[in-house]
Amino acid sequence: MDILALLPQAGLNGLVIGAMYALMAIGFSLVFGTMRIVNFAHGEFYMIGSFVAFFTYAQWEVPFALTILIAIAVVGVAGAAIEWVVVRPLRTDELSSMIATLGVSVVLQNGALMFFGASPRPMPDVVSGLVHLGPAIFSASRIFVIVAATVVIGAFWLFMQKSRTGRAMRAVAQDQEAALLQGVDVERIFPFAFAIGVVLAAVAGVLMAPVFSVSPFVGATPMLKAFIVVILGGLGSIPGAVLGGLLIGMIESFGATFLGGVTADMLQLGVVIAILLVRPAGLMGRKEA
Amino acid sequence: MIGKTGLTVRLGLVIAASVVAAFVPGLLPNLFYVHIANLTLLSGIFALSLWIIYSVGQLSFGHAAFAGVGAYMSALLSMRLGVPPAIGVIIACLATAGMAVLLGAVILRLRGVYFVLVTFLFGQMFTLLALNWSDLTNGANGLISIPAITVGGFSFGPRPVFFYLAFAVFLAVLLFAWGLKRSTFGRAFDSIHQNIDLAESCGIDTARYQVIAFAIGSGIAGLGGALTAHYIRFVSPDTFTFHNSVAFITMLVVGGRSLFWGAVIGAAVITPLPELLRDFEGLQHIIYGAILILVLRTLPGGLISIPSVLRRKGGGR
Repeated sequence: MDILALLPQAGLNGLVIGAMYALMAIGFSLVFGTMRIVNFAHGEFYMIGSFVAFFTYAQWEVPFALTILIAIAVVGVAGAAIEWVVVRPLRTDELSSMIATLGVSVVLQNGALMFFGASPRPMPDVVSGLVHLGPAIFSASRIFVIVAATVVIGAFWLFMQKSRTGRAMRAVAQDQEAALLQGVDVERIFPFAFAIGVVLAAVAGVLMAPVFSVSPFVGATPMLKAFIVVILGGLGSIPGAVLGGLLIGMIESFGATFLGGVTADMLQLGVVIAILLVRPAGLMGRKEA
Repeated sequence: MIGKTGLTVRLGLVIAASVVAAFVPGLLPNLFYVHIANLTLLSGIFALSLWIIYSVGQLSFGHAAFAGVGAYMSALLSMRLGVPPAIGVIIACLATAGMAVLLGAVILRLRGVYFVLVTFLFGQMFTLLALNWSDLTNGANGLISIPAITVGGFSFGPRPVFFYLAFAVFLAVLLFAWGLKRSTFGRAFDSIHQNIDLAESCGIDTARYQVIAFAIGSGIAGLGGALTAHYIRFVSPDTFTFHNSVAFITMLVVGGRSLFWGAVIGAAVITPLPELLRDFEGLQHIIYGAILILVLRTLPGGLISIPSVLRRKGGGR
């Protein structure tokens, strides 16, 4: 194959999966940063998002923008409820809360399996056609994913920087007690942060549903990659999650194009271990207190 | 700390259990029950080894992967190189422990969450390798007709016979965990679990002890995996997955994490559960997850804490 035609293709694919990993990792990192909780059910919210997309967009043919809003509403409410019922009572114990989210993951995944079956369902593209950029030709649906993910990440960043709640969340992440002293209602922030974190995963699920197919098991890989990305970027660091997501996406895409998929996966894990050896807190993480 | 009489009582219990165990294969109605008993003993080995890691305040989310490494290693040694399984099992145990030391050295500086994430990634890497390194692992098809463990012409292949081997190893691991808990090591482990910073300021090399506990626990998991491979005579990437790691954690939580007895009780309760829940096909895993959450919420000390919970309730009357 012509290498000059492959390079932009691999780059674009890297951006697509990188944007998805970034979305996943930001949500995961947000939950960990504010609540000190490792959410092992994070991938299941991606899965729920992709199922919402399948039913609303592919089956009932509602507009795609509405699909995203429905997914945000469904997963946001579910996330806040799970925080309230399962995570809240265990928050003081890092390991117990982690094991509890593992239980949530098992229940959600097998619940989906029971209701929807194991067979993967294909989902139609949201936009079709080709985009010509110089000599390279891209599929418009891929570009749509990148643009949509960028918009969502941008909106999230604005929310965290400018809004009262966003600033309160950052304050809680920096120092919970100091935030409490400043009048931040920490108990109200927690379910909110958890809900936003899992909503980002759901949005990733909605956007990627046409790229990958929809099944109860689709959440596993994105979650695995989110773990790799946050270790790489630094747990709790949002810029680290974006940077790490894009880096891992690029390694995966170029690695898979030129070296084969398995080598690419191994390469990622190798990079992560190497970075941990040099910078244990990740690329942009703060040192653990 | 338990007193001298307590110790005698507990030792007596262990001996009584051994005597009862001697008759178990003969008393069970058919081979299927013997098989469940064997699996329970193997689970007990895995849960105990995970408990050793937990006793320094770490939790491995890739415990099944170490069992898998042991299983593949011992199986391949016997099939490719003709190493007697009885020796291969021990090599697998030591090699798995060595691998844990290497991984432990990499993640030496990582605590809590990072440790969990890296063990999780290690588990994924194992599954990936087992699936794709086909020359060695035969890919998704796995390795079939692995020889049974034989010592001096005596085969531990048949289920009732394997029971005694599994029980002996289980008992050895149990006594080892017990001895470990009562040794200087055990006290260092305890202090690290309770307050790692305080332990470190008291001059305990916490990182070293955590790697030691990780290596011992993973090594025993490798041994258990090797035993499993020679027992079911088959190993594939599906034999030891993340779901098994979750199951081992569930055993620890349900039984009780504070004492190693909890791991044993958890294994005894959780392992036969899928057989009891066979009528609820599909619901099975959901029940697993629900039990996990329910125990964490309502009985954080696990089943072994029931007596003390009851005592507290009774005292309040």
